[in-house]
Amino acid sequence: MSDHKTKIQVTINGKQIRVPSTLSVIQALWHAGYPRVQGVGCLEGVCGSCRVLVRRAEGNEVSMEMGCQTLVEEGMEVMFLIFPSPSQHTYNLEQIPNSWEVQTEFQKIFPEAQQCRSCHGCTTACPKDIEVEKGVELAVKGRFKEAGELFIECIMCDLCMTGCPEQIAPNRVGLFARRVTAYFHTRPSNLINRLEKIRSGEIHINKESLS
Amino acid sequence: MNSTSATGIAYQEAIEQYRPQPERPLPEPQLENRKLLKKFHPDHIDSSRTRLNIGINRGDNCHKQLAQLLQSDSRISEADLAGAATINTDVLVIGGGGAGCAAALIAEQQGANVLLATKLRLGDSNTVMAEGGIQASINKEDSPQNHFDDTIRAGHHHGDPDLVSQLALDGPDVIRWLIQQGMQFDLDEFGDLLTRRAGGTSSDRICFYRDYTGLEMMRVLREAVHNSNIEVWDYCPTVELLGDDMKGCSGAVISSLKERKYIQINAKAVILATGGIGRMHLNHFPTSNHFGATGDGLVLAYRMGAALRDLDSFQYHPTGLAHPFHLAGMLITEGVRSCGTYLLNGQGERFIDELSARDIVAAAVIRECQEGRGILTEDNQNGVWLDTPGIELRQPGILNQRFPKLMHLGRKAEIDLTQKPLLIYPTLHYQNGGVVINENGETSVPGLFCIGEVSGGIHGKNRLMGNALLEIISFGRRAGLMAAQRRKNKRSSQLSIEHLNQLRRELTTAEIPLDCQGPLLFPEYAKFDLDSDYEGLRRNRSSKP
Repeated sequence: MSDHKTKIQVTINGKQIRVPSTLSVIQALWHAGYPRVQGVGCLEGVCGSCRVLVRRAEGNEVSMEMGCQTLVEEGMEVMFLIFPSPSQHTYNLEQIPNSWEVQTEFQKIFPEAQQCRSCHGCTTACPKDIEVEKGVELAVKGRFKEAGELFIECIMCDLCMTGCPEQIAPNRVGLFARRVTAYFHTRPSNLINRLEKIRSGEIHINKESLS
Repeated sequence: MNSTSATGIAYQEAIEQYRPQPERPLPEPQLENRKLLKKFHPDHIDSSRTRLNIGINRGDNCHKQLAQLLQSDSRISEADLAGAATINTDVLVIGGGGAGCAAALIAEQQGANVLLATKLRLGDSNTVMAEGGIQASINKEDSPQNHFDDTIRAGHHHGDPDLVSQLALDGPDVIRWLIQQGMQFDLDEFGDLLTRRAGGTSSDRICFYRDYTGLEMMRVLREAVHNSNIEVWDYCPTVELLGDDMKGCSGAVISSLKERKYIQINAKAVILATGGIGRMHLNHFPTSNHFGATGDGLVLAYRMGAALRDLDSFQYHPTGLAHPFHLAGMLITEGVRSCGTYLLNGQGERFIDELSARDIVAAAVIRECQEGRGILTEDNQNGVWLDTPGIELRQPGILNQRFPKLMHLGRKAEIDLTQKPLLIYPTLHYQNGGVVINENGETSVPGLFCIGEVSGGIHGKNRLMGNALLEIISFGRRAGLMAAQRRKNKRSSQLSIEHLNQLRRELTTAEIPLDCQGPLLFPEYAKFDLDSDYEGLRRNRSSKP
């Protein structure tokens, strides 16, 4: 790395470092010679591993972001959030007898979802700008397909969970909504026809076709 | 990162000179494709090729960086095992991507006790990043035979016909299984699966969910595993496999990064699903791979005596992001080129038919940069333009309509892609070869299975888009089933790391110094081996000379 580039000062996990201004938060730590192994994943912003709290020089607001996607700025303060993902909710799709029972089962699995105080904590915490709170609200009303659509870009970083005073796991609510939609309602006829042909033995592969 | 060729037009100068233009002619090619590959594709760089000197593949061609790790000393010694706690399980799955999850779910369904140990967290993998989709021949005009033929052809006839045939026949049932796990796919108005075509294939065969197929697959599988009886150990990289008295594999030694100690896991079957090698940065290339893709499984399996294949064949995706530096290596989907976007060198000229195969396009980009027609950033990163403003002029609105994820990337990079081009350079994407397996993912070592990118033989010397996501589920399920069955009559004993003595003897005979230790576990720049937090894991290591 050449020296002619602009260097800036940032504080990461309490360590003050001077680094080139073109680095992500994770690259900055590595550049400064600090080891970092935990809390690093895909480095493309989709695995939800490198959760960081960020405070920028101007302003007191703290935001939650993905460290691999966050460009360092002069005076920025960053704290990595390493915590195990709690999963207090357990369910199997097979336990839902049929699609008429989804709402009943949902209330049993996620009872606290109805306690939502509409405090926007989850929505504010989401680094992907998902309308998290609205998604929970829709799921409680049994509108699972609609709820699930809101969570298309969810990377399961669990930050919404930390933002919820009622300990709702909004991302898991969203994922449940998505899963029941596929499990009960995706029945593509083109796939079913092909499966039937394979099952009946009608389809073979000639491994010598190209030789 | 491509440090050897630091000439080119300065980025600032080039971007100021750039003017959008709807049409640009394609000059006559000056080099036929075969010569282009030979001269510029990284697989053919003579100085980075070598032959293996030890083990079952002795004499085979291999990439130098990989050879160094395959011929490295172990990270542990008998002394590390003496104090280690021992855990027993039926099936040990190593790796927490799509392949590992599929294998674990099926093995558990068969009644086996399953432990899944992963280096990072469950789901931290390349699976989660896959954008394109998954191949399965489900359309009337398509057939598993076509899928087979396309795959064999794309792999330059190096693929194993038995594996490829299994893959193609499994396709439709893999999609059904994924739907039953709760995975969504894009459907038409009647609820049929939508399909699109991958480069180099004869039919529309890619099933997908937006540009997020891998993300959707991974979050569903991860949730399914979390809601099962599978025990998941995260931050537990495997440092060695355990041998037994039947010349088989019966467990592994993992290093717990949370407890900072070694744990011995005795298992009746071991399934390696550790993924690829991108983070080894072969030939100093940037990579589209996740942080943990350091080729650990290849090293572990090779020491146990498992045969490998095609160790000199890697896929470099032509369009990795080269600037800005903090996002470098990220992948830009092939779809952008397949809709007609040009590639331009620093002089604003096209230089290759952009719809050629991935290896050809990658080689052409490298040629432009090596011959000084590339664009050079402050960070010494070379690249060429992906001419998004040009396609926008020819097809107004296409960028926003079809490539929301790309536009999002542009906003992050603070580049308006309708006005300015993106700098791209090939990025190390996939390991085509790997551990030799049969249709059930079994290796030549009894009790050891390999699935997903760590295995070899399906893709030959070149992989088709969409076959990786299919492979991980197809072979993951098969290995999970077979491992669960095999556990019932396994009678081995005397679990040990005796095979490391054999390794060290061979290294000494071949006069290979023992100062390199493997598997790599983490990229060098993460400084894992210097981290004082993990000193406890190094106390018995021989000091480096």
